Amino acid sequence: MSASGSSRGEHIVPEFDTENVEKGLFHQAKEGKITMVLAFDDSEHSFYALEWTLNHFYSPATGGGMGFQLVIVHAKRAMAAANVSGPGTSAEEVLQDAEMDQRKLAARTVEKARAVCSAHSVEAVVEIMEGDAKHVLMEAVAKHHADILILGSHGYNSVQRAFMGSVSDHMAHHAQCSVMIVKRPKPQKGTKKQTH
Amino acid sequence: MEEVTATVVMEGAVVGPEVAEATTAEKKGFKVVVAVDDSENSHYALSWAIDNILANRREDCQLVVLHVQHFVETTFMYPVAGHAVYAPTLSMDAVRKAHEENSKRVISRAVDICKSKHVDALTAVAEGDPKDAICEAAEKLHADLLVVGSRGLGMIKRAFLGSVSDYLAHHAKCPVLIVKPPKGSHK
Repeated sequence: MSASGSSRGEHIVPEFDTENVEKGLFHQAKEGKITMVLAFDDSEHSFYALEWTLNHFYSPATGGGMGFQLVIVHAKRAMAAANVSGPGTSAEEVLQDAEMDQRKLAARTVEKARAVCSAHSVEAVVEIMEGDAKHVLMEAVAKHHADILILGSHGYNSVQRAFMGSVSDHMAHHAQCSVMIVKRPKPQKGTKKQTH
Repeated sequence: MEEVTATVVMEGAVVGPEVAEATTAEKKGFKVVVAVDDSENSHYALSWAIDNILANRREDCQLVVLHVQHFVETTFMYPVAGHAVYAPTLSMDAVRKAHEENSKRVISRAVDICKSKHVDALTAVAEGDPKDAICEAAEKLHADLLVVGSRGLGMIKRAFLGSVSDYLAHHAKCPVLIVKPPKGSHK
């Protein structure tokens, strides 16, 4: 039934098999666990997203995570090149040191994520992948056959988004799976005024 | 011109015991608001959300199906030879009625999906601009999660994300889940 809906190319039909849709039979519920990939980057927003997810899907009161699988992905920036001038140091050394630092940083970040999970008695798969966050997340979604991609959001306004490039924006548009954007609620007495 | 504000109206469709349950569920439990429109995409989103978010914790969650009705202008002015003409109230009523019929249809279809998956859902109807109306309704309903399809009625093939979904991802106060259509369907 779902197969007929997703047979592609042969006929020019709308996205869904209307007949089955009428009966509310869009697809069968997935066999096995529902995989959630959560993007983690050591920011407050990521922590909030992780805590929110653990509280609402993995706490004893909410089913204890039965039927769900959590994969936490951290994107580690790759050190590509270094340009150094001055006596006493070479580009390679600096690169190596930078790489070491990045690795340490990533390891620490991942430890924090693991700590939060253990505090909730949740076993999550934690992964460090190298590269730009957007590519890393696309890969992670494909690799783990994610059903949901969970992201925190920095809550940038439109100007900031244009400048800094929003990962959550990009994933909302391009991810192959459903995307859940978890925002921290704005503080009541805001220090910054949000302009949109 | 009066301000277009979103009004949340609890439809008479699914009241009674569910409402009583809702008030107790509101204290704890997970409130999921799914915004539906006439598009297949949004009904798929509802179905997907029930399967993947509510999953095996139906008792704990409260599902609300939200439909935003087109706002009917009370006056319809168009200049004809320099004079403004007000559309006859008869046609306005007809338009309003058509919108209401459409709303009922969308809601009942959504409720059918819920029923077929053994989920009790509340329904809510709001009026106005979809973007704002959904945002406001989600706040008023104290939603824990807002679910939308990725594309709706204005389905432009090249657009990856519909304008309403995009707006909600940035402006909704609560977490937003954007449900993508199943793989293999036309992009």
